[in-house]
Amino acid sequence: MSARGHVLEVLAGASTALGLERDYINDLNVYPVPDGDTGTNLFLTMQAVIDEVEGVAADDLGGLMAVVIRGSLMGARGNSGVILSQIVRGACESIAAARAFDSVAADAAYRAVRQPVEGTMLSVIRAMADAAAATPETISLPALLTTVSTAGAEAVEHTIDQLEALRRAGVVDAGGYGLLVLLRGAVAGFLRAETGSVAAAAVTADGSDRRRGRASRHVAGIPADDIEESRYRYCTSFLLLGDDLDHDDLERFIGTQGDCALVVGGEGMLKVHVHTDHPGAVLSYASTHGTIDDIEVADMREQTRARQRRLRLDQRVACVAVAAGEGNKSLFRELGCEAVIDGGQSMNPSAAELVAAVESLDAAEVVVLPNNGNVVLTAEQAATMCDRKVAVVASTSLPAGLSAMVAFDTDSGAAANAAAMDEVLARVHSAEITHAVRDSEIDGTPVRQGEVIGLVDGHLAASGDDLVLVFGDVVRKLGSGGAELITILTALNGCGVTVADLERTAAEACATECPLVEFLFQEGGQPLYPILIGAE
Amino acid sequence: MTRLTLDNTAIVVDSTCDPPPGYFERPGLAMVPLKVHFGDETFRDGVDLTPGEFFARLASSPVLPTTSQPTVGEFTSVYRALTADYEHVLAFHLASTMSGTYQASLTAAQPFAGVEVFDTHTVSATICLLVDRLRARLADGITADEAHDYIAHFVRNNHMLFQVPTLEYLRRGGRIGKAQSMVGDVFGIRPLITVDDGELVAYAKVRGERRALEAMSAMLGARSAPDDAVKLITWSADADDKLPALEAALLALRPKSEVLFHGRVGAIVGTHGGPGVFAFAMIVE
Repeated sequence: MSARGHVLEVLAGASTALGLERDYINDLNVYPVPDGDTGTNLFLTMQAVIDEVEGVAADDLGGLMAVVIRGSLMGARGNSGVILSQIVRGACESIAAARAFDSVAADAAYRAVRQPVEGTMLSVIRAMADAAAATPETISLPALLTTVSTAGAEAVEHTIDQLEALRRAGVVDAGGYGLLVLLRGAVAGFLRAETGSVAAAAVTADGSDRRRGRASRHVAGIPADDIEESRYRYCTSFLLLGDDLDHDDLERFIGTQGDCALVVGGEGMLKVHVHTDHPGAVLSYASTHGTIDDIEVADMREQTRARQRRLRLDQRVACVAVAAGEGNKSLFRELGCEAVIDGGQSMNPSAAELVAAVESLDAAEVVVLPNNGNVVLTAEQAATMCDRKVAVVASTSLPAGLSAMVAFDTDSGAAANAAAMDEVLARVHSAEITHAVRDSEIDGTPVRQGEVIGLVDGHLAASGDDLVLVFGDVVRKLGSGGAELITILTALNGCGVTVADLERTAAEACATECPLVEFLFQEGGQPLYPILIGAE
Repeated sequence: MTRLTLDNTAIVVDSTCDPPPGYFERPGLAMVPLKVHFGDETFRDGVDLTPGEFFARLASSPVLPTTSQPTVGEFTSVYRALTADYEHVLAFHLASTMSGTYQASLTAAQPFAGVEVFDTHTVSATICLLVDRLRARLADGITADEAHDYIAHFVRNNHMLFQVPTLEYLRRGGRIGKAQSMVGDVFGIRPLITVDDGELVAYAKVRGERRALEAMSAMLGARSAPDDAVKLITWSADADDKLPALEAALLALRPKSEVLFHGRVGAIVGTHGGPGVFAFAMIVE
């Protein structure tokens, strides 16, 4: 294969890898500004290099390297793109001079940045260069590339400990990770050119597996906000063309106009990048030095918002509840539950139904409320079968599930929601009033078939022939037991009793012992149980 | 340098500061009304329509009201009149994130050397609490720097909490801010909303009247120390019957504090918040 073919394969490998990881790298991007465009910038910078190489006929390594340098400089986008252009320059100059891959690339990148910060792509390229320099001269090329790539991966992992902004956000550096992706892609391209497609395919597969593992680990933790925005609003970059360009003077001026200032290049062409509130001032000053081309001004505040919106959607948490009765189901929906499946006593949903409900939701994480003791296990089994993070909150009654639902917070993840909901469950007592289905003995008390029984947390609390009287006994027990708020879910059809009867009875039952108890009556519509009660 | 006093300093607000009756009818104080529209009928908030009249109309009107901010010209004439008699004029407005009133006032103030316009980043009677505390300082006389420092301190450190019977009005008016995802008045939930940097934010989701009251005093507890003499105000949208219990809970928690006065939600805040809202605001000085 020609030198030109080789170079194009390497570039294509780098560009393809960046293209695949672009969105993920964008999401990682919190430093220096959380504007979520690092992946796009690196990708487009590599695209510009490819366009430049495809546009020339050169086929000697030296000539091609000069084209790559020029293409990366002209096409450099954003802070990371400009720094990348300097790494590319250092690397290409080494290759053209037939020197080993050494510290030239890292030095060039460090030089370009006025105030180098560790924990960025600079640290990653430095680690790669150091690893290369430490290998014996006799090392094979594939072994060298593996060494460099491993050192890069370690350096990327380390960035989170080096920079406070990354530590707080719980992410590795976007530019550093992008550089690693680029290198791995370039290596894959190189091997493809050297050894044919089979080995290359193996490398690519390995790369994408790592990608998935890494992505799931870091993305889950990328917070959508709580990140400091840039002091400056506009990411401004342009090319400056002309003879005798005064690099130092321009750099000095740009430095006074904002931060993240970069002035790189030479020989009639400088690439300028700065975060500033005054793009106009920067441009008009630069125009006194030469001709301006390729101006790009991006509103970082808007980019930051867009990144936040995107991440919020990716991390959305939703809730699935199992419930019976139209009133109860609509209460769950009104409280923010997006999927409510029919089920409950003697009508348990299958694990497959729960999985389908979870997976029908456009949410990364899901909380499941089974709301019945017989459904909890099914829900836990379903959770292991879903394609996303699912937390089961072991609610064993409808009123308890509704109380837990009040704690549901769309701004927290499934695990945090489950913890908050468990806390509610720990202080909710559930009661149910129904008719005994057969003669039996409950907690040592005989009950007749058809008799009204009132159970509190599963234990017989009252029984008798009159629904209202049993209800009064149960409410008194809950009120004197310390309840502040008693919720009554009714399904009184065919009982010959009205909600008004229950309201009067509840008020009387608590009038002397617990007058501060508040009552909330809701039409639940559940089968089998005329009255379900939650007390907290 | 001259000191700012009640004699040489006038204070201007807009009617979203929901003051007690008559508060701004005293010398050196001026309130510029926003307007409320019921269909084709237009009323100046607090001038043509008292809070009581507004809520009576809101309950019976077939059309829902809308609101509009004062014009630049309305502010200009107030500034022209006051700068003739006062060396300093300080204007305080509801958060610029909620209304263009601050911008209109700022534009009107440009030609007048002695007029300073402040975005309070908050809304309703909390603005009135700021005015009241500032006037207490003007009574002794303070330097311009001291005035600026106090205003900045207040804007940064005040807190307020609304209990809103229904989120319907906030949603309809598009003023719900970050409280958007909050669940409204279902299942006995009493939505509690605070203002953070000019935006409405859901504070807590609690069920039942007693717990909502506990959550309100919990905010006072979290944002003051037991011995603080917190300056408090309470107010409501046609629901003053809610205030005694609230005040009792607040004062029980911070006995050295005092409730300075009671605001009243007027037509503008009432249009966007609806009836039955009640609130307290606090500043630790």
